[in-house]
Amino acid sequence: MRFLFTAVNKDLARLRRDPLGFATSLGIPLVLVTLITLVFGGGQATPQGRLLVADEDGTLLSQALTGAFSREPLSKMLLMATTGREEGQRRMDRGDASALLIVPKGFQNAFLQNQPVQLQLVTNPAQEILPNIVEEALSTVVEGGFYLQREAGVPLRIIAAEQTPSDDTVARVSVAFNRLGRSLTKYLNPRLIDLELYVTAEKREDQNVAAIFLPAMLFMGLLFVGNAHALDIWREQSWGTLRRLTTTPASLGTLLGGRLISLALILSGVAVVGVAGMRWFAHVQVASVPLATLWLVLSGTAFYLFLVTIAVHASSQRTANVIGNLVVFPLSLVGGSFFPFEMMPDWMASIGRFTPNGWAVTTFKAFVAGSAHTTDFLIGTSYIAAVGSLLFVLTLRRMRKL
Amino acid sequence: MIEVEHLRKSYGELIAVDSVSFAAHAGEIFGLLGPNGAGKTTTIGCICGLLVPSAGHVKVMRHDVVREGTAARANLGVVPQDIALYDDLSARENLAYWGGAQGMRSPKLRERIQQVLELTGLQDRAREPVKQFSGGMKRRLNFACGILHSPKVLLLDEPTVGVDPQSRVRLLDLVRAEAQAGTCVLYTTHYMEEAEALCDRLAIMDHGKVIAAGTLTELRSMLAERDLLRLTGMFSPQAARTAIQQIDSVEILQSDESLLLLSLAGASQKLPAIFAALAAAGAELRGTTLTQPSLESLFIKLTGKELRE
Repeated sequence: MRFLFTAVNKDLARLRRDPLGFATSLGIPLVLVTLITLVFGGGQATPQGRLLVADEDGTLLSQALTGAFSREPLSKMLLMATTGREEGQRRMDRGDASALLIVPKGFQNAFLQNQPVQLQLVTNPAQEILPNIVEEALSTVVEGGFYLQREAGVPLRIIAAEQTPSDDTVARVSVAFNRLGRSLTKYLNPRLIDLELYVTAEKREDQNVAAIFLPAMLFMGLLFVGNAHALDIWREQSWGTLRRLTTTPASLGTLLGGRLISLALILSGVAVVGVAGMRWFAHVQVASVPLATLWLVLSGTAFYLFLVTIAVHASSQRTANVIGNLVVFPLSLVGGSFFPFEMMPDWMASIGRFTPNGWAVTTFKAFVAGSAHTTDFLIGTSYIAAVGSLLFVLTLRRMRKL
Repeated sequence: MIEVEHLRKSYGELIAVDSVSFAAHAGEIFGLLGPNGAGKTTTIGCICGLLVPSAGHVKVMRHDVVREGTAARANLGVVPQDIALYDDLSARENLAYWGGAQGMRSPKLRERIQQVLELTGLQDRAREPVKQFSGGMKRRLNFACGILHSPKVLLLDEPTVGVDPQSRVRLLDLVRAEAQAGTCVLYTTHYMEEAEALCDRLAIMDHGKVIAAGTLTELRSMLAERDLLRLTGMFSPQAARTAIQQIDSVEILQSDESLLLLSLAGASQKLPAIFAALAAAGAELRGTTLTQPSLESLFIKLTGKELRE
């Protein structure tokens, strides 16, 4: 146990002596996110997002409501997809869409009866523009519904009251709608107000690009740091310090434990800066700062353990370097740690989420969005602990033979 | 202190160490002498727990290195042949790390670091990264890391390889000082002069076996005060052999078309007779080297080859 402290101290001292190596590993992704933000941030491109609709009512009225989003100009900005309530919630947790609209069962009946009914709109806190557009559009439609109810409430209720309306009822409702139409004609034709629409780029649009890319780049940085740190075991091998340690009462397991702890300490600083960057650079409200920060630390440490297991099983330092890069780059690309999942085709994103970093970045976004909580953190931690223990044993067995 | 009994280490069919036995005691410098590949480093590896013996027993301070590895290693200080230091840490940081690995704690650790830095003459450079050190300084620090915890048994595996003469003298003095302080020192080398100057007892190894062991006097007596005469040139091996055999008390150690190796007493008196006999046998002499009894000549006598071959 005493040696654990010595080993941690040694690793931290080595980092103090050569901070550039660590800074480079972490710096490359951060430079990338800055460049991407600069390149895409100031553009006038129409933002595109995904609106999930869980229509539990499935009536004419609910379809009319949701149909408002599939007409221009909203359809240019939002791709609408129907889903179930739970699936929609899961996708929102993964940061898969801009908003989820839930139309509850009984919506049409309640509307016709002039009874209160609640539509649920879940928005993605990592995005700013598109959720606001959905919210605004929905309130306009709801407002329209209110006026429809006010002007044509009586005939609507008459229809709602009868299962199969009689000819007399249909005639009365038709007359009522005809009168309503005529009274509105003077406002609608010709139009009293001509609305001209100018879309100006929002001042903080660039920050949204950063919001999309920053989590991805943070995880890419963690992978890079993990890989560089993992390769360092081969430096120790070439210096002969691993072999020398086996001639002392201290154990290699403690040395490896020390490496994990020292890395976790360093990553704590990185995580604090990363989460602060999410808040102040990307303007994302981080729902749970402690959980998001701890998750970054835990993920980075786990990546190291994964990559050091690979590194020690290579036949030489050079091979370890090649294999490390062969693992890290594809994982970054597919696992949402370079291109965010939001920008990937669905099929690739669904594969990417099964990668270790894909899972970690999705969970991180859920902590940021506030859709994952302490229980999810504990479950995730226990998964990492289980896999990590196995990797620790495998690494240790191989280290003894280096 | 160190007991090695019938130690054997094999890698498949290759036998690196074969039935090696010896014992080294407190306050003694025990030398393992032999050419590269003789099995010295493998023997050291088995003693310090780096390698698991295929057969036999090794005990350090009465602890079996396999069964009671941690207890055995707690008494052990190892100075490996290849420098094993953190290049990017300072001398002081390296010492703190290796002291920690041996279970030392401050303030004793701090005190001892200061002592060994002074002992090895590195106190002025203690805060510099090791990568800025010369080869000799690294060797001294490598040694300092091995003696930091005042081990009861010190294993030194060719600690002076590639060291400048000044650092070598300093290192050898340090080794003597350790032994005088009561440490049991096991010293491997292929430098005969070093072994002769340093070791109280020696075991000469070749091809994984101990071929001779004893004090320096005992080993020299094996040569019976006989000189070693090395003749190079062009010989007809059979004719040269017949010619030499006619001269009294000359022993042929090795004979081929370019080399003739002889062991004889009072070589200087017999040289004219040897030259005459060889000339009569049609030999063409190009070089003559006469060596007085030494470990080198003993090794050549025992193995028929030079130590550095």
